[in-house]
Amino acid sequence: MNNNDWMKKNTFHHSEFRDIRCLVEEKEKKNLSISLCLPTLNEEKTIAKEIIILKSELMTRYPLLDEIVVIDSGSADKTREIAKAYDVGVYEANDILPDLEKFKGKGENLWKALYITSGDIILYIDADIKNIHHRFAYGLLGPLLLSDDIKFTKAFYDRPISFGDEKFRATGGGRVTELVIRPLLSLFFPRLTQILQPLSGEYAGFREVFEKISFPTGYGVETSMILDIYEKWGLDVMAQVDLDRRVHKNQDTKALGRMAFAIIKTFLNRIEKLGRLDIRQDVFDEMIQYNLVKDEIKPDIFKIENFERPPMIQIPEYQEKFDR
Amino acid sequence: MNDYLDELPSFAKAIRRIGEIIITNIVLIGQIPSPTFQEKKRADFLLERMAEFQVDECATDSYGNPVGIIRGTSETKPPIFVVAHLDTFFNKDSDHSFAITENSITGPGILDNSAGVGVLASLPEIFRRLDIRFESDIVLSGVIQSIGKGNLAGIRHLLQTWSGPVRGAVCLESGELGRLNYYSDGMIRCEVECNISRDDGWEHKFKPNAILTLNEVINEILAMRLPQRPRARVIIGKISGGYKHGTIAYDAKLGFEIQSKSDEMVKVIFNEIQDIVNGYSHEYEVELKLRTISNQKAARLAYNHPLVKNAVAVMKKLSLKPVSEPSESELSVFLSRNIPAVTLGITHGDHFHQENATIKIEPMYKGITQVLGVLMAIDRGVCDE
Repeated sequence: MNNNDWMKKNTFHHSEFRDIRCLVEEKEKKNLSISLCLPTLNEEKTIAKEIIILKSELMTRYPLLDEIVVIDSGSADKTREIAKAYDVGVYEANDILPDLEKFKGKGENLWKALYITSGDIILYIDADIKNIHHRFAYGLLGPLLLSDDIKFTKAFYDRPISFGDEKFRATGGGRVTELVIRPLLSLFFPRLTQILQPLSGEYAGFREVFEKISFPTGYGVETSMILDIYEKWGLDVMAQVDLDRRVHKNQDTKALGRMAFAIIKTFLNRIEKLGRLDIRQDVFDEMIQYNLVKDEIKPDIFKIENFERPPMIQIPEYQEKFDR
Repeated sequence: MNDYLDELPSFAKAIRRIGEIIITNIVLIGQIPSPTFQEKKRADFLLERMAEFQVDECATDSYGNPVGIIRGTSETKPPIFVVAHLDTFFNKDSDHSFAITENSITGPGILDNSAGVGVLASLPEIFRRLDIRFESDIVLSGVIQSIGKGNLAGIRHLLQTWSGPVRGAVCLESGELGRLNYYSDGMIRCEVECNISRDDGWEHKFKPNAILTLNEVINEILAMRLPQRPRARVIIGKISGGYKHGTIAYDAKLGFEIQSKSDEMVKVIFNEIQDIVNGYSHEYEVELKLRTISNQKAARLAYNHPLVKNAVAVMKKLSLKPVSEPSESELSVFLSRNIPAVTLGITHGDHFHQENATIKIEPMYKGITQVLGVLMAIDRGVCDE
């Protein structure tokens, strides 16, 4: 059933693209522009480092990136203030396309970045990476610039997790990948299991791809993105890049459970639309978890609704701005 | 001769404009763990950075020190060295992720000496942006094995194997901005280790205690009468030992340094402490050993040496108040080889040797400017007399 043809052909290591001069030449030859979007929610500890390193290495030293924007979901900490101090575009998601209904979530920020940025290629990098290095950017951009066929790149990592006592665990991470999305992909889209970390938060692609797919506003965005690109353009337009180690903040199991809920819901929604599964009842939108409070088990109910933004190309303001 | 002094304030502004490149170097270098004897990854990265910044010649010497040479305009002037030690006090298990705010950078080792190394890596780009050319070759090196048992082995090897004269040198330390070190005390760094035999059996109720034995040694050291001239002191710096609260300590270790302007006095004090240690070893019937970890000879420039005078002038031009103390770092190795050298601090900071060590960003630009000023002074011949 499964073969590894795509994996062999379309899997890269970031070091293959470390000649940034060559990437800049290719970008200029193809007359492309590149925008970096950092979606944020309370990332005051890491945002400055990401901006400084990516800006100094890939804008000041080499003109690989043409703009950096921070799209914030309404941080309560100093995220926006710190980002502004380092002279990049900083926006609150709610202020972009303000006439539309407002949603909160990473997917919402990524979708609105399509409107606010101007690049032909858009690079998304999470803002919570503790060991940020410019390889996260040039690694993902390399295949897009050097190949004529690849339109979307996705990161994978060796992922240690940073715990409260600041010690590293040698392996780990990717629990939702291994326990949720990989079994689902194996059941319905075995070829897609070649994507080693389908939920990784870093990816890049051409505007012409992103503008034609819909974006769930929350956690399901990575899942829907892969399924939609696969359905519309096939696996060969995708590539994955090994970015080595990514150190990030650990999430507790209950938080991961809520993430899994949103991902499963997005997945079911997609395969139902594709006619692969007939769900003969409405699925619920509440994740019910339990806590032991003073010898009593009490439910903790989280409403996780599945809002989804339509392809950006359908939005009149976007059509006008980008002459679509 | 002193025309460069007037240029310095404008340099600080220009350096601030490429501040993000300097911060990036500090962070990318500082996030690579580099405990003494395990500096290879940081050394490789520094070499790679120097090559990326188009330093004319980049190579690792036979000992593992990364060295970059920026060729000068003169073929006859000896080179000027700029060095920063690569090793830090933190082991590989520490979380080396740095955090940046609008005005500070925090992370283990940043004050000793990751900011210094980051600035070293940035110098080629700073020279280029400011269009500064030197007559002398500028030799940039992040030297390994500096701290503790490293005993400055990296810089010793680099200078031992360097063929030809050296015009002068600047040693970079992250902090504190305003330091101007131009002399080194004679020093012996020692360890006293106490081990109690476990062979006597658990029923022995009055076994000696390794911690208490070292306590006696400390008390004797503190009771020693040290001379005011030549100035001398014993610094008790480290102690460790024991297993748990209710068990006699079988092993304990004490680390200290003997420092004096006079090498002879250092030896005299060392011999006295050796007698103390031998005495307690005999009296308490314990294994008590005094071991030398490292040592250095006293060496100094005079306060009126042109390099010191010009460094003071540079600092005053930048409204910095020079503070001078003896330094037991790379400086001592240069001075012991009669190479005029000073150590300069890059910026201010807090929590010096803790995991949350923090440097301030803004003063750094003035700190880097003073380094340029001193290098320009050396290049104009203040060390040539």
